[in-house]
Amino acid sequence: MKKIILSGLLALLFATSSFALPQPQIRVKQMVDSVLDVLKRTDISDAEKQVLVSGRMQSYLDMKSISRRTLGPYWDGATEEQRERFALLLVQILEGTYLHRMDDYGGGATDYLKQRVKGHKAIVDTLVHSEGLEIPVQYKMVYEDGDWQIFDLVLEGISLVKNYRASYGEIIRRKGLDELLTMMDDKIVEMNKPR
Amino acid sequence: MPLRIFTLLCAIYFILIGAVFAGDFDADFDADFDDTFSDADPASEILIADPLEPFNRGVFWINDKLYFYVLKPVAKGYRLVIPRPARVSVGNFFSNLASPVRAANSLLQWNFRGFGTEVYRFVINTTFGIGGLFDPAKSVAGVNKSSEDFGQTLGYYHIGPGFYLVLPIVGPSSLRDAAGTFVDSYGDPLRYADLSTKEYLAIKLLDAVNRLSLDKDTYEGIVADSLDPYLFIRSAYAQLREAQIGDSTYDMNMFEAPVFDNQLLDPIDWFGL
Repeated sequence: MKKIILSGLLALLFATSSFALPQPQIRVKQMVDSVLDVLKRTDISDAEKQVLVSGRMQSYLDMKSISRRTLGPYWDGATEEQRERFALLLVQILEGTYLHRMDDYGGGATDYLKQRVKGHKAIVDTLVHSEGLEIPVQYKMVYEDGDWQIFDLVLEGISLVKNYRASYGEIIRRKGLDELLTMMDDKIVEMNKPR
Repeated sequence: MPLRIFTLLCAIYFILIGAVFAGDFDADFDADFDDTFSDADPASEILIADPLEPFNRGVFWINDKLYFYVLKPVAKGYRLVIPRPARVSVGNFFSNLASPVRAANSLLQWNFRGFGTEVYRFVINTTFGIGGLFDPAKSVAGVNKSSEDFGQTLGYYHIGPGFYLVLPIVGPSSLRDAAGTFVDSYGDPLRYADLSTKEYLAIKLLDAVNRLSLDKDTYEGIVADSLDPYLFIRSAYAQLREAQIGDSTYDMNMFEAPVFDNQLLDPIDWFGL
């Protein structure tokens, strides 16, 4: 009887510990692998790759958080419609940029250096090898809705979200949010053209 | 009884050790995770001051044209003529020449590991690497070069970037980093070689074109993917420099290098640095 209680307690312990959660590093690896799978294909055009990657990346990204962080102080002043449109546009720009960078890195081998987890936050450090160069790529994640979601990509110490936040903030300050949305629209059309 | 005390002491010891490591981990983690997660006020959105923006944008525009219409075509031609391994060697050679500057700046920041790494790399690559044409320190021993310059040294002593500057040909910089580049130029061995100004400039141009020929269209990528390349590069530059001044997470220093797997072979370890 004692044994049963003990094993029951142990099972409970493991169930509640982080071991039971899907590991952030595994999530990152899944995403990277699925993106590289698309990149390696030679039978489809760049635009088609973009469409395929878009479907695959979105489920790994915490777009709500990313767009809120990117707009920062301008989030509160935006209407629900503007927020939704912004999130929709930003995810396309983010995916396009990530796709292009990974393509530039030659779809290189990725080393998963370490993962650090603290509560519902995690940082996964990777190193992408590309023709003798080693590019550190860091993924910042949060545990939300039962899964680890990426909310920032840091390439060589440069946070994409921070960069968007700084440059988009500047554009909104000068030209307003609607103008920014128009600019993003145009950019996406341009990005989807074959390079 | 003594066993019990011993166990207790061990337990206390491990708890203390645990606390110390946990504390470190927490602080490091929070520092790395940082502000993308907090709701910072608008004032802190500006990563670097840019009072000279109209001037900087002018220089940026000129650099852009220089890049697309002069430097890039030259680099493309050069890439066609010179095979890749030779270009890598030319790059290695210039990088090796800059080792003393990196070593000195490491030392100025009391970074003995970085200093050791650079001295080690310089000695190995100059000898076994035939005057720096090859990089056996990395390819054989796995010791990566560090990136140190005087701008970073100034940053280490809490001197801020001042304001953003776009320099002709050189590109993004800041008041601090431009001063740093100037100081570092005195550590360039070529300066002390018996060269005429023309020869010196020709060698510098070779360095730039060679570097560009090895680059994978980074700038084109930025122009293609960002709404305003000027703003994107400005904030990327500010972030990159900040990251370089802080301790690099990815610093593959000589301790992790396979050649020093054997503790006895680790000269730094002998002196307990």
